[in-house]
Amino acid sequence: MRAEFISGYRKYREAAAVNLKAQLAWRADVVFNMLFTISKILFAYLLWGIIFRQRDAVAGFTFHGMLSYYIISSFLSQLELSGGISGEISARIRNGTFSKYMVLPMNIQGYFIAMEAGVVAFYLAFDFLAAAVWVFLFRIRFAFTGEPLVMACAALMVLLGLLFMVQLNFYLGILTLKYQEISTFLMIKNNLVALVTGTIVPLALFPETVVKLMRCLPFYYVTYLPSMLLTGRCREEAAPGLLILAVWCGALQLVIGITWKKYRKRYDGVGI
Amino acid sequence: MRKRMKKNFRVLRELFRIRFQHLMLFRLGFFGPFFVDGSLFAVQLMVFGAVYSNVDRIGAWGEGEMILFIGTFSLINAVGMAFYFFGIRQVPDKIRGGELDLYLTKPVSPLLRLTFEQINPGSLPLIAMSLCIIGYGARRAGIVPHAEDVLLYLGWLAVMIALHYDMMVLIRSVCFYLVTNARLEQLEDTALELCMKLPGIAFYGIYRIVFCFLLPYGLMATLPVQSILGELKWQTALQGLAVAAAFTGLTACAWKRGLRHYNSASS
Repeated sequence: MRAEFISGYRKYREAAAVNLKAQLAWRADVVFNMLFTISKILFAYLLWGIIFRQRDAVAGFTFHGMLSYYIISSFLSQLELSGGISGEISARIRNGTFSKYMVLPMNIQGYFIAMEAGVVAFYLAFDFLAAAVWVFLFRIRFAFTGEPLVMACAALMVLLGLLFMVQLNFYLGILTLKYQEISTFLMIKNNLVALVTGTIVPLALFPETVVKLMRCLPFYYVTYLPSMLLTGRCREEAAPGLLILAVWCGALQLVIGITWKKYRKRYDGVGI
Repeated sequence: MRKRMKKNFRVLRELFRIRFQHLMLFRLGFFGPFFVDGSLFAVQLMVFGAVYSNVDRIGAWGEGEMILFIGTFSLINAVGMAFYFFGIRQVPDKIRGGELDLYLTKPVSPLLRLTFEQINPGSLPLIAMSLCIIGYGARRAGIVPHAEDVLLYLGWLAVMIALHYDMMVLIRSVCFYLVTNARLEQLEDTALELCMKLPGIAFYGIYRIVFCFLLPYGLMATLPVQSILGELKWQTALQGLAVAAAFTGLTACAWKRGLRHYNSASS
């Protein structure tokens, strides 16, 4: 049992390491992706700059508090790179090359999680560097929590959030087995996820009933709540947030298992 | 001149007919662009709805003016999506793969054919949706425009659609000289995404130079909205026209010189 676990762990660690190394082949992409994160900060800087000229606080945020929120949420949303998983699975099912993943001596979803872990590990340092540069460049008085427990909760929530997004994208990808063409749906999903994860504007700006509703959804805990926790807000939501997100991860895993079992036989390896 | 226009019109009619036949084969994806871009602008409306539930004005603009801005940007985008976006987007591939040869040998302007051969009628409902947003925005802003205001707005809209088209062609014409324009397209997407969310009134200093003159996406929906609001100063109007004219000239020049530089599949 122990030997099996160690061997399994080694396989996934190797998959993560290979995908981390593969990122080195796309160095220019890394640099440009890092540079273009400025658009989110610039949006916040200009929009909120013009608003805060006429007032000192909006929904409890000061100007620098708001920019700190954007720096952290932009950093976290840059780490969330699982969007490509659904596209990759969908394209491979459609052109009949999904067999590449089926013949791997490991669980397919586990492989994608390991892949995401490798890519995130690679981008972590670069995104951190970019965030530090923007803080310096825009002269932001950066607000960050000093409580280790809140930081630990936020870190755990970020990990669970990343796992949830991999699960979601894996699930959407395998839906190609049933619906054949999901690219339009994936693009709509991207637009909506940007809104409900709070990467465009903090969810605190929405009416209280909307925020209450969003608290029941997992997206609230992917980027928004960790960003709020790290800027020293909403600490009372940390523990319930972790629980809700964990329940969502478990529920989605069940749905993935059922869907995979039901539809995987539809894959015939010749494309659509 | 008249004979040439007549010929071009006949070519366009044939291109539209062929495209319709092709699209009917993939009926499920027909309205795809409408749903994708519709959701994008619906998200924009929700975002600014949330912002305006906490503040009265952004600069000099209230919620109505901002809705008008979002609707106008949506309309420019919708016209592009319906008529030229999918055609122009293929230019880099055609240059790299040497497929442009086929266009050069046809008795019609290659750019005209490339522009209109991938029209997407599935985006037409997006135009209707944008008009509804504009109407709603005008009502919220309390604007009762006169006929001449509407004409002026439409005139600015036409100029800005031309500018949007120029930018698309210009960025893809780079492929006549370089192996890839991927970074420029990334820059285009980033600038467009930013200016779709932020009206030109928010730009100042270096940001104004970048987004109103170098990558003039910041002008696109702002000038038509300012014109209908009666806020457009003649200096700003002249600057806008000069930028549009300069980019049209630059694009025509880049395309013509690019075609001369084109060496079939080895480009």
